[in-house]
Amino acid sequence: MKALYLIALVAVAAPAAGAQQVDPYSNQPVAIEEGRGLYNGACTACHGINGAAGEIGPGLAIPGRSYARNTDAEVFDAIKHGIPATAMPAQQNNLEDDQIWKITAYVKGLRGTAIDAPSPGDVAHGEALFWGQGECGSCHMIGGRGSIIGPDLSNLAGSRKTASIIAALTTAQHRVYGPGGAQPHNLVPLQTYPVVQVTTSDGKRLRGVLRNEDSFSMQILGLDQQLYLLDRTRLKSISYEPKSLMPSDYDKRLSQVEFNDLLAFLTRLGSPPTLEGPQVKMPGGPDPD
Amino acid sequence: MGPRHALLLLALLTAHAPAWAQIPDPIKADPKDWLTYSGQYHSQRHSQLRQITAANVGGLAAKWVYHMTGQKDLEATPIVANGVMYISQYNRIDAIDARSGNVIWQFQRQPIATGAQRGTGFWNNKLFVTTSDQHLLALDARNGSVLWDVAVHDGLQLAGQAPLIVKGKLIVSGNLPHGFMQCYEADTGKYLWSWSPIPADDDPQLASWGGQKPDGMPVWVSGSYDPELNLIYYGTGQPEPQWAGEGRQGDNLYSDSIVALDPDTGKLKWWYQNTPHDTHDYDSLEMPVLVDADWQGRPRKLLLQANRNGFYYILDRSNGEFLQATQFVKKADWLKGWDRKGHPIADPAHDPSVLGTTTCPSTAGATNWPSPTYDPALHLFFFVAQEGCGVNLRDSARNYAGTGYLESPEAGKNWQLFTRALDAFTGKKVWDYEQITSHHYGPGLMSTAGGVLFSPEEFGQFTALDSRSGKVLWHFNTGDVITASPISYSVDGKQYVAIISSSNVFAFALPDIGGPAVGDAR
Repeated sequence: MKALYLIALVAVAAPAAGAQQVDPYSNQPVAIEEGRGLYNGACTACHGINGAAGEIGPGLAIPGRSYARNTDAEVFDAIKHGIPATAMPAQQNNLEDDQIWKITAYVKGLRGTAIDAPSPGDVAHGEALFWGQGECGSCHMIGGRGSIIGPDLSNLAGSRKTASIIAALTTAQHRVYGPGGAQPHNLVPLQTYPVVQVTTSDGKRLRGVLRNEDSFSMQILGLDQQLYLLDRTRLKSISYEPKSLMPSDYDKRLSQVEFNDLLAFLTRLGSPPTLEGPQVKMPGGPDPD
Repeated sequence: MGPRHALLLLALLTAHAPAWAQIPDPIKADPKDWLTYSGQYHSQRHSQLRQITAANVGGLAAKWVYHMTGQKDLEATPIVANGVMYISQYNRIDAIDARSGNVIWQFQRQPIATGAQRGTGFWNNKLFVTTSDQHLLALDARNGSVLWDVAVHDGLQLAGQAPLIVKGKLIVSGNLPHGFMQCYEADTGKYLWSWSPIPADDDPQLASWGGQKPDGMPVWVSGSYDPELNLIYYGTGQPEPQWAGEGRQGDNLYSDSIVALDPDTGKLKWWYQNTPHDTHDYDSLEMPVLVDADWQGRPRKLLLQANRNGFYYILDRSNGEFLQATQFVKKADWLKGWDRKGHPIADPAHDPSVLGTTTCPSTAGATNWPSPTYDPALHLFFFVAQEGCGVNLRDSARNYAGTGYLESPEAGKNWQLFTRALDAFTGKKVWDYEQITSHHYGPGLMSTAGGVLFSPEEFGQFTALDSRSGKVLWHFNTGDVITASPISYSVDGKQYVAIISSSNVFAFALPDIGGPAVGDAR
């Protein structure tokens, strides 16, 4: 089976062998914008827009996802020749190589995170603002310091785009609205932090951040930083608050210079995502071969 | 051993293998088997088994779990015949003991493939495999041997829906280069006929495309069959270009339609178009459910469908006559109204735009491919309803513009799934069960003669509801995302309910009366 698979890979990769391996259009805004138009014309029948998952194809730029095709040449090859044993068709008869490189640049551009291009500014001042005037540490944690109500930001810049960090600081956003197509089917903890208030049947009131729920149970992190595991049948009332605990007026409560410094600090938190997850081999079992 | 002895041995073996003596036939619809995608040809998805009831389902327990290695997000409905369960993927079928979950055989054609494959079919001890290299195979149900292997006619790639096999004819379909259906002889693989929603050159409906070349209209879900009328019923998908309708002025037949074909010839007998001139991807692929009943005082052969466009349809399936359409979601604004019986007028104000146009229901649909079910005792039609609106975008004002759609971010217009019960003949809502954390598509449903409606939820809960009231009777967390529909079957007098959750098959049954004898636990 492995041998067959290798042959298939070689057969697919062969026509691209003489072609360039690095995208001539990476980091070129005009070409990337053209790539977006081409992508929206040729790819969104299956894939979702803006890198989201589509009705038939997977998301091409979903945070936290590991990608089978990471290099420019691999993305180019998948578009040009299709991917065997999947629904991904070859586009070589529909698109010129030049157009495929533009789509590649667009797709790759969707995937980067803040740490690939940190914002300029006074990082030390940004850090001081984070723990001081900004009061960010009253909810968030970095490297073990801070609170656990909000998401841990130790790897913020390694997992988020700069635009999404700015949006979190300046726009009210309580729920990440779904892309149009099929959702990436992973059972993951809740990606949002909605605030919920419940009253138990014995009259206790609890306010906290919803960490998960289903039709039968709720898991709430109380504002007292305690975890509450609750059964819906034992709750008298549940109310979901429309607003997040996250302030969305940092562009107003901070000066422009302060905001930029805070952003300089935030866009340096963490490390770039690794392309391949490390394989950890545990000792103790017999080797298969 | 001489040949005579061998024959004698064979006779003895046959005599002691009653499981294979009778080949289950989908036309006989024995409730112990689940032989087609929808269980039976009428696609009611209602198991006549009644061991598990609303009164005792609270004691339902997991009997076994089978992991289909290397897979994820399976959408297949398992097939069960004579106590053996068959689970499919492109290029692959696993056969397992439906009582114990033990694997019996596995067929894997290279390469290992993944994707939205939704089931196989059983006919004359054969199972059928669609492959990623444009082949169609028949396997021997006993050991997975390849009985025939043919290249798909015209070199096309079949899509993932389960084949429908009627009168020894194997019906399959696909999406590219545009929607198509094909028929093969199930016993030999011989190609018989093709049909496409693209109107032929001499078809007057070609004029419904405003001069543009017809395109799109994928056929991506299995269909239903009425043996008496000798008609198969399928849905067709949206026209292309999907988001730009200005170049294809007209109704764009036979897009977004329910079509009735003669399975012997592939000839179109009638059609009904749910969504003329679609710019929102309202595929009519939701399962057509066939019911014989008195409707408004007259016995009728009905076809029921909850459509992605937000309306519940009742048609006369003998001739396609439109009888009734009832809106089943809070908001449906893609249409301006109806200009004649059964013919809605699409509202151009809701066409996709460069800045985004909010339209209800969203393109994800008011319901989608996950299967509905019909309870013939209660006259209730159960399905998964998705409330909410979407924002439809196009990349530019030019014709053939592409792009996509998003969930509406407005409060009250975002997506929420409900298991919904309608009075099957009036279309009026009887009850609703809110699947609190399910927001997209959801898995399909199955009702049973025991008065239990099995309603899996998107994030892994396998939930049993009271068919009469929608009240929760039992639930089990399968631990992964469910994108398939449940089935029921029985072996040795015991009723089982099974569901696939991502890559795992779960089977449930009531505890053995008294449990295993205490003395056995030595």
